[in-house]
This record gives sequence, C-alpha cells and structure tokens, in this order.
Amino acid sequence: MLGRSLGTVLQDGDIICLSGTLGAGKTSLMRGIAAGWNANERPTSPTFTLVNEYHRQADAQRLFHIDAYRLNSPEDVCSTGLDDILAAYGVVVIEWPERIREVLPVDVLWADIQITGDSDRAFTFSARGPRSQQILSDLKNRYTG
Amino acid sequence: MTLVLGIETSCDETAAAVVRDGEDILSNIVASQVDLHAQYGGIFPEIASRAHIEQIYPVVEQALETAGAALPDVDVITVTRGPGLAGSLVVGVNMAKGLALGRSLPIVGVNHLEGHIYSLWLAGPEYRFSRSDSPSADGEHIPIEFPVVILIVSGGHTELVLMTGHGEYRRLGGTLDDAAGEAFDKVGRLLGLPYPGGPSIQREAAQGNPSAFDFPRAWLRGNQGKQNFDFSFSGLKTAVLRALKECDPEYVTDEPVSEMIPVVDMAASFQAAVVEVLVGKTIRAADEHQAKEIFIAGGVSANTALRSAMVAEAGCPVRVPPLSLCTDNAAMIASAGYFRFSAGERDDLSFDVLPTWPLTR
Repeated sequence: MLGRSLGTVLQDGDIICLSGTLGAGKTSLMRGIAAGWNANERPTSPTFTLVNEYHRQADAQRLFHIDAYRLNSPEDVCSTGLDDILAAYGVVVIEWPERIREVLPVDVLWADIQITGDSDRAFTFSARGPRSQQILSDLKNRYTG
Repeated sequence: MTLVLGIETSCDETAAAVVRDGEDILSNIVASQVDLHAQYGGIFPEIASRAHIEQIYPVVEQALETAGAALPDVDVITVTRGPGLAGSLVVGVNMAKGLALGRSLPIVGVNHLEGHIYSLWLAGPEYRFSRSDSPSADGEHIPIEFPVVILIVSGGHTELVLMTGHGEYRRLGGTLDDAAGEAFDKVGRLLGLPYPGGPSIQREAAQGNPSAFDFPRAWLRGNQGKQNFDFSFSGLKTAVLRALKECDPEYVTDEPVSEMIPVVDMAASFQAAVVEVLVGKTIRAADEHQAKEIFIAGGVSANTALRSAMVAEAGCPVRVPPLSLCTDNAAMIASAGYFRFSAGERDDLSFDVLPTWPLTR
C-alpha cells in the first residue's frame, strides 16, 4: 500500500532513493510504486540489466528502475547511461543509492528500509529539497487520508 | 561447408569461436573477467567494457589461429546483439561490423538467449540423458527432435521456452523478480561465500543437509488456481535472511558469518528449494506440451543438483551442455547464427545493440 500510494503522487523528474540491506524489500516497494504509477508491466529485478524502463498507457511518461550496487564511479554512471536518465524527464527509482551519492541531484526523496521483524519493515523518509518535500506531504495525505 | 566466426561480449566474458556447419567447434576462446570482478562481488560495467576492448582483438585472432583458418576462409560473421550490458555489447558488435565491412562478409546479429539454446547443438551424444532409451554410449548421434521445452537459467535470466523448430519460440514463463543465478549470487553473499554464488553454494551444499531448513517453494498459481510457468526467487532470499537472523541474532549482511550459522546446511536447503521448483515446472511444461526433449541451458545449467534431478524426474530425454558451454561463449553464438544464416537471414551494417532484447519478438 505504501509503495502504491507513493506511485500515485510521482511526476516527471522525481527521484526516489531506496536504501536497505539485501532482502529488505526494495524491489517489493518498487513493485508497489510501479502499480500506483500504472505501469504496463510488473517490475523484475534490475540487478543484471542495471536499468529497467517501464511505460504506461495514460501518457508518454517513463519510469526507470535502477540497481546501483555495481556502480562505484562516475565513469560507471556515465557508461550505463545513468547520467542521461537523471538529466532526462521521467520518474527514477534507485536501489543502493549510497553507491552513487556524489552524482545524485540534491532534491531526492530518500527512503531507508529497516528490517524490524519477520515480515515487518520500518520506513524512514527524508525529503532533501522542495519537490521531495511536496512528494512526502502528498504521500502523507494519500497514505493516511 | 560453412565456416562461421562468432563473437560474444554481452557481459563479462570476451569470446570468439569458429564453428563449422553449426555443430562442429573448431575453436572456442573465452577470456573471462571473473577474477577482475570477484573482488567487488558483481560485474562492474565500466571495468567490463574496458576489459572487452583490451581483449577482443587477441581473442578473435586466437580463435582463427586455433581453428587453422584465416579471415578470408570465413563465410559469415555472427555476433551477440543483446540482451546484455550496452557498453559491453557494443564492443563485440563494432568488432564484428569492422571485420564484415573490411572483408565484405555477411553479418548476423544473434540473441544471446538463443545462443544458449544452440549450445545444445554443439553438445555430443554423451550429453543426452534418457531413462527409457538405451544409452548412446557408442557415440551414436541422435538428432534433436521438436518440440523441445527449454529451461534457460543464468545470472540474468530464468525463462521457460517452447521451441517448435529452428528460430521458433514461445515463451511459457519466466521470473517475476530475481533470476535463478542472481538468487545464487545474492544468497552466496548473505552466507559470506565468494562470488560468483553458483559454484560457491554448490560446493558448500555438497556437505550439507538439504532438509535442514524448510525454505519456501514458490509454485505460483494463475487465476484459476492452476500452476503457471512463472518463477519467483525473491521470497526465498528473504527466507534465508530470516533463518540467518534466527541462528545468530547479531547477523549483519556483508560481515563475516559467525560459527552459529550452519552455512553448509543453509546452502544445501536453499539449492534444494531452487532446484525443486525449476525441475517441477520444466517437467510439467514438457508434459503439457508433449515435448520430445528437455534442454537446460545457461550458466546455472552447470549445477549438478539441477542436472541430476531433471534427468531423474523427466519422462523424456534431457540434454545439457558440456560445462565449457554452460557459461557465456561464442561457439553457441556461431551455431545460432549459422542456422539463421542458413535460413537466409542477413543484417545490414546499421544495426544497433539491443540491451533488453527478448527471445520472443
């Protein structure tokens, strides 16, 4: 539900960072985001391809799903075309964002996922600029309202 | 006679091969980057791309030399066009285009997954296993019979495919989240084992008890409650993580695992869960589509537990590639390209790489 709510409030240019250990549920949250955003397909792991791209019926907007675990230099970011994706319009969701912290724009919504029990997770969101503050307050309204 | 030069650079192996008439390997050269990436626990794209550039020329030269052939002897150049890492694919494709242009040779772009399937055309009769037929130990070659159900399992792919003829495929299902090989890599990482996870887990599992942990089997059902042919390995990864924390409440990923963790039993139980679902769904697909044969292809087909379980439970012959052809190589690309070339296919030199090219277009 949380991912789905987040997916409904996202717009072109938004960047969501999903931080959490292996098995924390980053890809699961992404699946919710994609569903809320109305993606045509169900996301699969981007680990092998590094970048997966999704579309929807409503408009020409694109949703990018990135696994940055194997990116550790600005050259990597460049050679995978991630710099172009970050500069272009579209919604971008990044797993393992801490790996490419230095190339990320300032205004991102950062979600920390902590494993608190067998099937319990704690989500801590931090908004790092005006647009991400707006997303966070929209999410709050959507999720609690 | 048709001599095919194959080139493959889709991921972390720089490979070139010369194959005669689609089935005879004259040379099969693979320069692996595993050591280069092992220290990071995964393939780093920029490092991979640079290594391909350094190795592609000597690898192609060596493939021709080992085959006792020169470029003018080659009839067609085949190259992996996708799926794979864009920065890696482009190195092989540009090399292939350069050679084709320089020698006015035809060129055929090949799907990497189709390449894995054609590794079975390169496997000798000793790689066909059947419980019902008399063993073909006398070396007699038994031709492949369609339809074939193929399980493609590797680090980036888990696909169940029905093949009804050369180049004719129907996708029956695939993974909804992590690829099987990716699950091996990630669980290997959770257990503190060296990358790549496949061989590491198989080694540990050999000494462990596969029933020690009851890890979940995701059989996945469709709307009518009927099992479908999709796979899911993400929940299994989470179940292993949960078991790790039960054995050692202080467990933290990417730190050395404590002695409280029974690594061999966890590896064995994890492998058993993956194998059971892969084998169960493949055999059901083969029954449903009255397959004459089952193929296992891709890097994970090197797993001996998977091979023996499939052979033991299948109602039809099972073919597996030799270990040297399980992982990425160019001979399989040359073979797949040969059959496309024989069917009259040619690409013009303007074609681009396709990093997310599905097998079934």
